[in-house]
Amino acid sequence: MRFSRHDLHTLTGVYALDAVDGSERDLFEHHLRRCRPCGNEVRSLAETATGLAMAAALPPPPRVKERVLAACAVTRQLPPAIDRPSRPVRWAPRQALRRSWTPRLAAAVAVVSLAVAVALGAVGLRTRQELDSARAQDQAIAAVLAAPDARIMSRATTDGGTATVVVSRVEGKVVFTTAGLPRLPASKVYELWLMGPPKIRRAGLLPSPAAGRTAPVLASGLVAGDSVGVTVEPAGGTSRPTTAPIVVMALRV
Amino acid sequence: MRAVRSGPGLEEGRDQDLDRLLGLVARGDQDAFEAVYDRLAGPVYGLIRKVVRDQAQSEEVTQEALLEVWRTASRFDPGRGSAATWVMTIAHRRAVDRVRSAAAAAERELRTAQPLVTDDTVAETATANLEAERVRRCLGGLTELQRESITLAYYGGYTYPEVAGLLHTALGTVKTRIRDGLIRMRDCMGVNW
Repeated sequence: MRFSRHDLHTLTGVYALDAVDGSERDLFEHHLRRCRPCGNEVRSLAETATGLAMAAALPPPPRVKERVLAACAVTRQLPPAIDRPSRPVRWAPRQALRRSWTPRLAAAVAVVSLAVAVALGAVGLRTRQELDSARAQDQAIAAVLAAPDARIMSRATTDGGTATVVVSRVEGKVVFTTAGLPRLPASKVYELWLMGPPKIRRAGLLPSPAAGRTAPVLASGLVAGDSVGVTVEPAGGTSRPTTAPIVVMALRV
Repeated sequence: MRAVRSGPGLEEGRDQDLDRLLGLVARGDQDAFEAVYDRLAGPVYGLIRKVVRDQAQSEEVTQEALLEVWRTASRFDPGRGSAATWVMTIAHRRAVDRVRSAAAAAERELRTAQPLVTDDTVAETATANLEAERVRRCLGGLTELQRESITLAYYGGYTYPEVAGLLHTALGTVKTRIRDGLIRMRDCMGVNW
């Protein structure tokens, strides 16, 4: 599709209302970087749209506030964007996790305070081997969090907890973590599933919650149409879900 | 194109306090975040409800949007718009992300065997709230096509080609009516930015 300059100018309104998608949106954003009057107009029309939002105000149920404040307490914030010459950042698998939290990477990342120090601190590892394997796991998780297309989503679980995922289509992986899940008796376990249109696959067991949270679990091999789900199963897990899921999240990959 | 007014002293109506609060949020101040929540959760949830409709999903999207506000507060640039607009842009984006995937759209159609969003949905929420009253009055001053296009796009979460389809109107017409209508609203509402 081709657009004349005039066409592009008239997109200010639909752009301010977030009503333009795809290549047309990309083109307009490209144009915006050069067209100062367009930028000014978009800003004033976006402020106008805010009036429409204010007019639609509706108080959310109190549980929304509880959940948002609880989530923010465990969610790492992005550092400010700093203007400096950008240089490509490559994922270096041998580096310690901490090294990956440079501002540029972190900027690309949707981060729950999950990955940080995760398994290492929380789970009390003993042997060198355990430590190495935990570190490799952390790096794999950090790679998902650092993926340019990383996307974060949260859902309430049916038992009063919250499940959070960071999913990357490019990596084909999802990182799954929870907060506020009830502790299970020793005979039971939370099992994670990838639920695709063709079939349901096992995706691991959630570690028992520490300080109300479960350490992140990484699941790979996502295919289009996958959802993640969690069920309560007998200790050791099962090959297919036997109870109703406490949460299901469509990953939209 | 119309000149856009700008300059010092013209930002009346802009909530400077909210800008300041968001600056504190960027530095990790959870009390400031709670204050931002108290100011904006209503408009955020109300807007998301209009787009998403389903209550449970709207709550989820509201949580995601407000958590994004917390997470990315350092990226708010007061030179580019008000704090309220920055937050509402995030909320609207999240809401349309939720409804615009093909599967979600099919689901929404099933769930909402209701008439399309029109201006009366504004009337119903325009309570004693002055701002709402003013918005309603300004919407009332638009042509029917302008008003319908704007409410379908913003409250309905439709893209403008979808709006054109719903209104059986040419694409270019919808595009320009939305722009003309918003400019008229802007001037009517006294937005100075």
